[in-house]
Amino acid sequence: MKWFKLGMPIFLMVVGLGFLISAINLPKANLGNPNGPLYFPVGISILLIVLSVIYLIQELRKARESNDHIRELFSGRTPVLIISTIVLGVVYALIFETLGFLVSTILFLGALLFVVNGPRKWVSNIIVTLAFSFMTWYAFGELLGVSLP
Amino acid sequence: MKKWLLIAGATLVLAGCGNSNAEDGSDFPNKNIEIVAPASPGGGWDLTARSVQKALQDNDLVTENINVQNKPGGGGEVGWKYLEKKDAHTLAVNSSLVITNNLLGTSELTHEQFTPLAILSTEWLSIAVAPDSPYSNIEELMNAIKEDPKSIKIGVGPALGNNDHLSLVQLAGEYGIDAKDLNFLVYEGGGDVVTALLGGHVDFVTTSMSEVKEQHLAGKLKILGISAEEREEDLEDVPTYQEQGVDMVFPHWRGIMGPPGMTEEEIAYWDEQLAAMAETELWQEIVENNDWESYYMNSEETSAFLKEQTAMYKGLVEDAGMGQ
Amino acid sequence: MDAFIEGLTTSLQPINIMWIVIGGFLGTVVGMLPGLGPATAVAVLIPVTFGMDPVSALILMAAIYYGAMYGGSRSSILLNTPGDGSAIAATFDGYPMARQGKAGEAMALSAVASFVGGIMAVFGFILLAQPLANFALRFGPAEYFLLMLLTLSAIVSLSMGKMVKGFIAMSLGLLIGTIGIDTQSGVYRFTFGITELSEGLDFLIVIIGIYALGEVLFNFLTIDEDSKKERKKVGKIWFTKDQWKRSLMPMLRSGPLGFIIGVLPGAGGTIASMLSYSSEKQISKKPEEFGKGAPEGLAAPESANNAASVGAMIPLLTMGIPGSGTTAVMLGALIMLGIRPGPLLFENQPETVWTLVNSMFIGNVALVIINIVLVGLLVKILDTPAKILYPLIVMLAFIGTYTLSYTAFDFFLLILFGYFGLVMKILDFPLAPLILAAIVGGDMEQNFRMALASSNGSLGIFFGSGVSIALFVLIILSLCYPLIVKAFQRRKAEPTS
Repeated sequence: MKWFKLGMPIFLMVVGLGFLISAINLPKANLGNPNGPLYFPVGISILLIVLSVIYLIQELRKARESNDHIRELFSGRTPVLIISTIVLGVVYALIFETLGFLVSTILFLGALLFVVNGPRKWVSNIIVTLAFSFMTWYAFGELLGVSLP
Repeated sequence: MKKWLLIAGATLVLAGCGNSNAEDGSDFPNKNIEIVAPASPGGGWDLTARSVQKALQDNDLVTENINVQNKPGGGGEVGWKYLEKKDAHTLAVNSSLVITNNLLGTSELTHEQFTPLAILSTEWLSIAVAPDSPYSNIEELMNAIKEDPKSIKIGVGPALGNNDHLSLVQLAGEYGIDAKDLNFLVYEGGGDVVTALLGGHVDFVTTSMSEVKEQHLAGKLKILGISAEEREEDLEDVPTYQEQGVDMVFPHWRGIMGPPGMTEEEIAYWDEQLAAMAETELWQEIVENNDWESYYMNSEETSAFLKEQTAMYKGLVEDAGMGQ
Repeated sequence: MDAFIEGLTTSLQPINIMWIVIGGFLGTVVGMLPGLGPATAVAVLIPVTFGMDPVSALILMAAIYYGAMYGGSRSSILLNTPGDGSAIAATFDGYPMARQGKAGEAMALSAVASFVGGIMAVFGFILLAQPLANFALRFGPAEYFLLMLLTLSAIVSLSMGKMVKGFIAMSLGLLIGTIGIDTQSGVYRFTFGITELSEGLDFLIVIIGIYALGEVLFNFLTIDEDSKKERKKVGKIWFTKDQWKRSLMPMLRSGPLGFIIGVLPGAGGTIASMLSYSSEKQISKKPEEFGKGAPEGLAAPESANNAASVGAMIPLLTMGIPGSGTTAVMLGALIMLGIRPGPLLFENQPETVWTLVNSMFIGNVALVIINIVLVGLLVKILDTPAKILYPLIVMLAFIGTYTLSYTAFDFFLLILFGYFGLVMKILDFPLAPLILAAIVGGDMEQNFRMALASSNGSLGIFFGSGVSIALFVLIILSLCYPLIVKAFQRRKAEPTS
């Protein structure tokens, strides 16, 4: 699982570089100092890159140290749970505005409960899904007047 | 009392017309009405949307349910893009940003893509200084800027290219000042601009009259001039720009528009209801409490007004050095 | 004085007491939910307040505001999922307390701490409103920049032992803060043509993503083990004498601190609670216990953020200037009702002001009772099986995000930050520097540039006033303090070795 520990500093470097490059390519300001919008992001992204390099070196030095959390991340059903939550979240984002709040929330919460709580407890899953979907719909949409799709 | 009766009477008559129209067999509107406030709750657009909702509903001008939808983002663009795909049951609040966003290059949308329905209200803009400021009128201030533009710090907010900024661009232009030389400090909002002036962190501010009115009355700062056609009630000691020899009137208006491709019948319906609404007592009260001013124009007048405004803003944005 | 008495009697009218209780309760509830803060709650109530007596409306809105400060820490303590910036500091020690089976004690303590801060601030309001408002005016761009820098450096210095990670988190947060339109120039930065990003990334999405969603994902690591060794213990619903003794002085110190920071427009509860936490840790005799369930580490920021919410009323009422998102919405609502907050309000309608002040007094009493009663109910949340609770939190995180700007686009950002929060937790990154930097970073940069613009580029402006020099000294102290402590420890350790 070494790649996971080393992946982070490299990812951070990429983020820093990405910000640095797009900052340098920012359009010049028409008003005030033409480079005004540029200094701060350039400075911070350079700082981030430097820090990531230090971080990478630190991690390389103690590459052998094990991290319990990383072990857990790849054991049991953890990867399944995390990936399904993310995938379901993306699907939820895509259907939320077309199917409307109630339908999409019932689908999302129901699916999530089936994955996390297990299909064996389908009765309680369905009850919780319906109860909480309607409750939040009522509380947010009706009582608090939040405009839901 | 007489005036009140007159308004109430007019409202009744107009409301009556509205109802008879619906009975004439036209089936518009036939479902819930949605008013889009292209901003978060609490700002001018949101308040306008909610006031329209309230005034239409409480006076029974529209019997369908009216909901306010907040769609903030991109200086109105998110909300207006949303409106673009809707039918005539959805309206959106707007302001000059529907013109300037495009001119400033921040949006592809133009007001021509929508159906203008009405201009509802306006605020006026103002220039204010500290009470102990060396400048006692607009001319003195402008002459000082002309001499050394960088030495005078101007508080504006929340973004360059807005009316607070552009009205000053026009004013400075009248005195032959190149607006690109002005030294702006851009604050997060109107409130912060006033704080900065009270704390002596800027030399003068350009902002809505309502933001500085109370402070002026309390003697904490001094309004040098306002962009209105005539002096304001409660602010009789403040001259307009026109009185000070500058030929300009600058409204900060808010209006309402519908989606593209509305039928004549639908436009007529909204013209009627919105005109009636603008006359209601409730609407007048809201307008007064907010220090807005009634500025009603119907669909046709709005259409012409927007064309005129577009030409004016085009020039101002160029002068400001923000043209694309 | 007459106006004060009149205000007292008005606020004691049954109808107004009812509004105080309703507002306080509603505030507590919205404070607990992720994303749905007091600003939204006040905004959606605007149509309701149309028909109300303006003074009652003011009382109601204020009660929602400080009620949310009470409620905000509930979810921080129980689930490690703060609903707003000002509730983040409550996770530092509140959540560890809950994990140690002291959830009930923690919630009771934080309610009392909020009460202490709130009451101190109400007295501060009565005595000092006008002079403090004038003091706040002296904060120009340079002073704001330094105040934000102080908060940042105080928070980063908390991550002792993992400084590099702390600074990385801070830089990331600062970069997040630069996304969106650049106020000073109108240039769009890092928006990649996405309209939803043009006004910047709402820091609440970052909070909900990293804390709420990230926390759930992180808990998935051990979900199958946790359900076996149930952590049913929630402790008593009242705190111990020892916890009280340790928290009393920090509460009394943090109240005034929070109050004064609250008065500064734009600073608010987040900065107040963070500064009070870090300064309490620095002067504590047991700094090593901070972050591991020290009761004073919970009591101090709770006292501070509630005091800040009262302090934020001062610029609103004395100058008509909103100092926070919530007070901005309140200002709009009040204007519609015909109350014009501003310098004339104290002169023309003093009874309105004093009614509000007295209602805040009553409101804090009511809220401490409501919240202590709720403790018994809320600890039941921990009895919910984790496998049902986590999906529900995920759903609430999504809905809370939706209420921020009413677009499902934000869900993608939420997922992104949720995943990133998980990785940060796994690799033991401190989260607070990232969040705080994301909250204040944008303003910090703008204030820095405004300061330079107003001094024509001279850095001297950062030493130009008494306030800025004082802030500078504090920054140096907060950065060097860990080193000083280390030096002392070494000296102590030397003779024995």
